Amino acid sequence: MKITFPHMGTTLIFAKLFELFDHEIIMPPRPSKKTIDLGVKHSPEFACFPFKVIMGSYLEAIEAGADTIVTSGGHGPCRAGYYGELHKKILDDFGHQVNFIIFNAPQDNWSKFMENLKKIKAKKSWFNFWRNLKIIYKLAKAIDNVEKIVEQKRAYSPNGEVDLIWKKAKEEFNKINTIDEIEFVETKVKADLDSLSIHLPADKDRIKIGIIGEIYVVMEESINNYIEEKLNSFGVEVERSHYLSDWIDDTFLPFFGESTKIKAKGQQYIKIGIGGHAQESVGRIVDYKDRGFHGVIHLKPFGCLPELVSQSMLDKIAKDLNIPILSISIDEQIAEANILTRVEAFLDMVRQQKSLEERKIKHG
Amino acid sequence: MGNIYLGVDIGSVSINIVAIDEENRILFKLYTRNSGQPVELVKDGIQQLRIKLNNKIKIDGVGVTGSGRQLVGYILGADIVKNEITAHAMATTYFYPETGTIFEIGGQDSKLIIVKDGIATDFAMNTVCAAGTGSFLDHQAERLGIPIEEFGDLALQAKRDVRIAGRCTVFAESDMISKQQYGFTKSEIIKGLCRALVRNYMNNLVRNRNLQGKYIFQGGVAANLGIKAAFAEEVGEKIIIPEHYNVMGAIGIAQLAKAEIKKTGKNTSFKGFNITKDSFETTSFNCEGCANSCEVIKVQANGQTIAMTGDRCGKWSDQINHKKREQQETGS
Repeated sequence: MKITFPHMGTTLIFAKLFELFDHEIIMPPRPSKKTIDLGVKHSPEFACFPFKVIMGSYLEAIEAGADTIVTSGGHGPCRAGYYGELHKKILDDFGHQVNFIIFNAPQDNWSKFMENLKKIKAKKSWFNFWRNLKIIYKLAKAIDNVEKIVEQKRAYSPNGEVDLIWKKAKEEFNKINTIDEIEFVETKVKADLDSLSIHLPADKDRIKIGIIGEIYVVMEESINNYIEEKLNSFGVEVERSHYLSDWIDDTFLPFFGESTKIKAKGQQYIKIGIGGHAQESVGRIVDYKDRGFHGVIHLKPFGCLPELVSQSMLDKIAKDLNIPILSISIDEQIAEANILTRVEAFLDMVRQQKSLEERKIKHG
Repeated sequence: MGNIYLGVDIGSVSINIVAIDEENRILFKLYTRNSGQPVELVKDGIQQLRIKLNNKIKIDGVGVTGSGRQLVGYILGADIVKNEITAHAMATTYFYPETGTIFEIGGQDSKLIIVKDGIATDFAMNTVCAAGTGSFLDHQAERLGIPIEEFGDLALQAKRDVRIAGRCTVFAESDMISKQQYGFTKSEIIKGLCRALVRNYMNNLVRNRNLQGKYIFQGGVAANLGIKAAFAEEVGEKIIIPEHYNVMGAIGIAQLAKAEIKKTGKNTSFKGFNITKDSFETTSFNCEGCANSCEVIKVQANGQTIAMTGDRCGKWSDQINHKKREQQETGS
């Protein structure tokens, strides 16, 4: 079994999962122009953009020898729930014989879920199985903890010191085998970041931007034109609405995860689940405002229904909460210059508004 | 002579250059069509500036904006390189401190900027469609055989209304042809077209926003009286067209350059009037240093590399920046 999976965010976590179970892994290449071209060519025109990119990733991985694809399913109005089935059908049509292991939320179908788990577990004991899952969960948490610091400090590190540590950290995390090692690497990386002579400015001089939207375009930087790095390079701090460890919490421990709390915050604007992360997106804006953020960037794949619905609410929310929101639609047509112009103008606006408000407070 | 600041706006259809003094007075203003050779046009424009001001000038700050701002920014040695939205808002709020809404329609894009208390609070730019921008109007004027300068005025002579589908330029064109065949006059068709474009602007950019006065309309298309009339009808209020409507972006970036020089207290990094004699070349290559395979763009002046950009890791751009720092430190 040569396993591959979609490229989303820090893929080393998925790779480590399969490695711990002694599976052979075909790493999906980071999505490039070629991946997107392949995906667009082999997908229905009106499919959402993430579907097309993932299609391209699968084709590249298959060419590299993958015969099994592990991915997530879903249920409800968002079309992502059908991605797995449709990808499989299209790949079949093109004569690619690959197995799909599609993980849905366990409560949807327990026996199917167990059957899938056993395929991943392979020859390992159940004791090892739980041990490995715990390692992966801790690893995801540790990486996300570090990344949150990176997204903050990188804003004040124009010469790339923070990026260098972040790059090395990922290499170190890739070598771990036990929970102790994860904790060791996490502590060390945090100490490295602390030892940099980066002074966070006084609270009033810091600008924080939250990124919300559809999970794939928010997490996969090669698709969102490295928007976090760009924002950091303009000297502002960033936080995303999606991190892998949060996604694990929400999918497998839905009552303990943060998402219930976040959804409740947006209740006033969006009462029912309409699929995808529309409720979280809206709730996050309220959450960011509560936490003193200065602006929000909304990323929407072209053709994404849930985010189109949340986008239609943005003008009202921005006005109600007095927080600037920039919505960017992402697909294969988007040009980097376009994003840069909008982001730069948006940040100029955020800065001016912030200083206007400060003047107002000063002069009563 | 006092301090002089230069503002350059490299748009897709026009290239604009202005020079302002310490009191934001306009000393020089140039609006030229972009024939696809921005560098040559900028060199030519700088030469004209020099002649107009009798060689007796020293530039104290340079700003560049517009879609071609990066490259020209390197060539001129700009003190500030900024997006056109910020630049437009800057100039408009200077001339009209009570601005509420800015409609800006240029060659290939259109913008809406909402202003409150003299600062921008919201903006929108056309994303997927260029229907309603200058290029389209140009094309239609040519098709109807009317010089673009007279195009808008004709709309005001229309006696009847005719509705043209304005959602998409291709369909607008086929609708126009069919309306022509029905026997509507050119002026009626142009009026219909102007209204269709404004309707499209309202649907795509304004959407459900609540607009407030004063209404300022600028950009190259503001010369078109038909569009101005259609906007006035749409918002039900007077539309103001600034005196320098077609170079507002250049004025704004000149003001921003002045602010930047004042803030940093540095001398300008303007390369001087000699650049009109230099030859520039831009090339690109794919860096194979890692899996990112970035497209790196290299700008050369007289065979010497003056800028490299596009690399995510800084492998190439840092070399140039490093050299610049060294030169500054040694004072050469």
